[in-house]
Amino acid sequence: MSIPTLKNLNIVQTVVDWLDERVPLKAAVEFAGHKEVPVHKHSIWYYMGGIAALFMGIQFATGFLLMFHYVPTFEGAYASVQAINMQVPFGWLIRSMHSWGANVFILVLFIHMFSTYFMKAYRAPREFTWLSGLGLVGIAMVFGFTGYMLPMDEIAYFATKVGVDVAGESPFIGPYLAEFVRGGSEIGQVTMNRFFSLHVIALPLAMMGLFGLHATLIQLQGISEPESIQKLPKAERKYEKFFPDFFKKDVFVWFAVFVAFMLVVTMKPWGLGPQVDPAAMAPIGIKPEWYFLSQFQALKLFPAKILFFDGVHVAMVFIGTVFGSLAVVPILDSTGKIPFISKFATVYGVIFFIGWLFLTIWGSL
Amino acid sequence: MFPVWEVPNIGSGWVIGLIAVLHVFISHFAIGGGAFLAFTEQLAYKKNDDRIYDYLKKHSKFFLLLTTVLGAMSGVGIWWAIGLASPNGTQTLLQNFSLFWAVEYIFFALELATFLAYYYTWDKLDRKTHLKLAWIYIGISYFTLFAINGILTFMLNSGGWDFTKGNIGDAFFNPSFWPALGLRMFIMMALAGIYAFFTLSREKTMDLDVKAYLLKYSAKWLLPAVILGPLFVIAYLFTLPEPTQQVIINGLSTIGVGNFSIMAKAIFMTMVFAVGLFGMVLAGPYLNPRAFNTSFAVMLLAAGFGFMFTEEWSREMMRKPYVVYNYMYSNGLRKFEVDKVNKEGFFNHHKFAGAELTTLKPNDELGKGQLMFRYQCTSCHTAKGNGYRSMKVMLATRDKDAIKNLLTMMKENHIVDNKGVAKTMYHGYMPPVVGHQDEIDALATYLATLNSDPAKTTTAKVESSNS
Ligand code: HEC
Ligand code: HEM
Repeated sequence: MSIPTLKNLNIVQTVVDWLDERVPLKAAVEFAGHKEVPVHKHSIWYYMGGIAALFMGIQFATGFLLMFHYVPTFEGAYASVQAINMQVPFGWLIRSMHSWGANVFILVLFIHMFSTYFMKAYRAPREFTWLSGLGLVGIAMVFGFTGYMLPMDEIAYFATKVGVDVAGESPFIGPYLAEFVRGGSEIGQVTMNRFFSLHVIALPLAMMGLFGLHATLIQLQGISEPESIQKLPKAERKYEKFFPDFFKKDVFVWFAVFVAFMLVVTMKPWGLGPQVDPAAMAPIGIKPEWYFLSQFQALKLFPAKILFFDGVHVAMVFIGTVFGSLAVVPILDSTGKIPFISKFATVYGVIFFIGWLFLTIWGSL
Repeated sequence: MFPVWEVPNIGSGWVIGLIAVLHVFISHFAIGGGAFLAFTEQLAYKKNDDRIYDYLKKHSKFFLLLTTVLGAMSGVGIWWAIGLASPNGTQTLLQNFSLFWAVEYIFFALELATFLAYYYTWDKLDRKTHLKLAWIYIGISYFTLFAINGILTFMLNSGGWDFTKGNIGDAFFNPSFWPALGLRMFIMMALAGIYAFFTLSREKTMDLDVKAYLLKYSAKWLLPAVILGPLFVIAYLFTLPEPTQQVIINGLSTIGVGNFSIMAKAIFMTMVFAVGLFGMVLAGPYLNPRAFNTSFAVMLLAAGFGFMFTEEWSREMMRKPYVVYNYMYSNGLRKFEVDKVNKEGFFNHHKFAGAELTTLKPNDELGKGQLMFRYQCTSCHTAKGNGYRSMKVMLATRDKDAIKNLLTMMKENHIVDNKGVAKTMYHGYMPPVVGHQDEIDALATYLATLNSDPAKTTTAKVESSNS
């Protein structure tokens, strides 16, 4: 670095240079610019990962703030959430953002998952990007489940109870699993401790770690192109640098999505039901959150007994297999060179998507 | 008094609101966009750059089509809508400002004529003369802004103006006049920039460097709003009536439960839209003009419309429950008449309602109550369904006695002690219910039938827990 004289002193440049000698800034920017984003008519799906990242950020930030006032006890939780909603300045806002955000986050993840699936972005060398992504959806859904219980209003309590009871129906391990999750035979303070520490410590760490892997892989491998674009002659394929070009578009879209999000958050602030009375009967028609509805509905469709097996057990194995197939089918199609498997993956995806949508809607009726 | 206009389910408020905001969104462009044309033409003249001239010709065509066709249609739409929904409000406005409206119309005609002259002489006049036309257009359109601003601010904040013998000049230059004028100007300039993004994004043949240059240039039209806007907002808030200020401050931090939650929500969203627009313009046309396309431009227009909507809506809410502050309520009731109507009885006082009452059977409590509701509440509420401020939803589980209590409270709505502290929590957003006790009881009877299905009310309770 040359010593600045009064004549050529440029403050910004000097600071940047000083920093760059200690922290490899320019190398980082160059690394980020190294990745190229294809520009074509399906490019809109490339925003989904970024939007998911935005909501991950919103969840971490608002969750952190909620912890300033939330009291994780079986008896005190409800009152603390009530206070957040009514007394804490802007508490209503933070809570509404966190609760709506959880739902929008998962919705965006589903869109991201299906779009990368249908663009066949999971193909070699991106198998681990896909698998880490699946892990992230899984974590997000557990986030949702554990978070849902925390306000301890009527629906929170009973939806959790139903959820844990369903898990308890899994073959072989079911009862042990339910017992372990509850920390006893009933939902109580110990359950709360477990849900809370999962929700605020274990899951965030897992999500950050897995997202780190996901993002690093993407950075190293670049963004894939769908087949239809790969077939085009080189001259017709356009690219732009991820940083700063695509990133600025990302930021634009973030602001747009954020405003739309805040519209819902503000106009329909997240409510709080009546306080739970665990001794009372569960109100009729308790349903899980929408992202568990497809599984919930599927469960109901199985008869009580199938041959020698319990219907529920068969159902649990079936549902597990269907969701597990999301990790298997893309791996089978990872070369993309076997036309039959490639076709099969597409058709399978369509059936999965329609089935999932259908069951979710049916379940909500 | 006139009959009341009813729009099933959406409620007349929303209809007026949408048409009005569309009109505002366009008519603000007629002024801000005019300034944009003039300043940009000045720039083209100075640089002697044909490429900017070419763009301005296209932009002015867009301007002409939008402001005349859509602008005029929505303008007529507004009068039609407020005329029907609140004839008394319109009457007061016309009476007090007839001179201004007349002048306004003359200026509007002048504005249009000047713009037509401007538009059709692009290639006929020499550049210097043409530029002068642009400045004349600004002068005229700026005057319309001036006039409209006086009227709108008066409706929100009539100060201590006396309706019988006050001086019209004092009404016009009311305390909010200057801050509001500044704010409108900044908003108009910002909108001019946003519309320019749109026409620029449609340019397919333009030189990319010129396009990038003009996008960055248009982005700078948002600067006054960004830098001076917040200061003027604060100044403006200080000129509002004290109770309105209080409601805003309390409402914002406790939006979920505050009495005036809707107003607080509208104000809050206005701020969110402003911040969002700022971020979008910065990341989009300003920092990344080369990647800018029509999708981004449409998103910016949508955000701009959202801003206008929430901003105008906040202004409307601040004036609730009045149409003309401290003088006439949204349902047409005049403040000074309240005691008189309570003494005379509502149906004796209100000719149209009274006439309709005679068409009912003598003991039709329900019909009478429904009439009360039509005339006193529908300017802000729908009855059934999940529509705009639906009574069915808001009353939920309340039974007839609870509703009677509520109406009794609403009757005392306008009573404040000498410090301005209200006697009831409904003060500040609903007009008082007026009429004899039996008339009010009929209203209670009617309201109680809206939710008489007990099965429905219990499920509503469970569902409301996560919404
Ligand atoms: C100037 C417009 C306006 C008029 C006219 C009006 N209201 Fe309201 N009303 C409001 C607003 C604003 C709210 C609050 C809405 C909110 O906070 O979401 C409200 C709320 C209510 C509520 C719910 C309050 C609570 O405590 O839950 C009831 C009940 C109600 N109005 C009844 C009536 C009745 C009956 C009439 C006719 C006599 C009437 N309103 C006339 C504007 C109006
Ligand atoms: C915390 C959750 C997640 C975040 C923040 C995230 C973020 C991102 C980002 C920023 C990208 C690059 C831009 C894009 O293609 O959209 C990306 C790509 C990708 N993501 Fe995710 N993602 C998440 C979850 C998932 C999930 C649930 C899946 C699928 C199961 C998934 C699969 C992929 C794949 C396959 C790619 C590569 C796309 C390509 O190269 O074309 N991700 N992700």
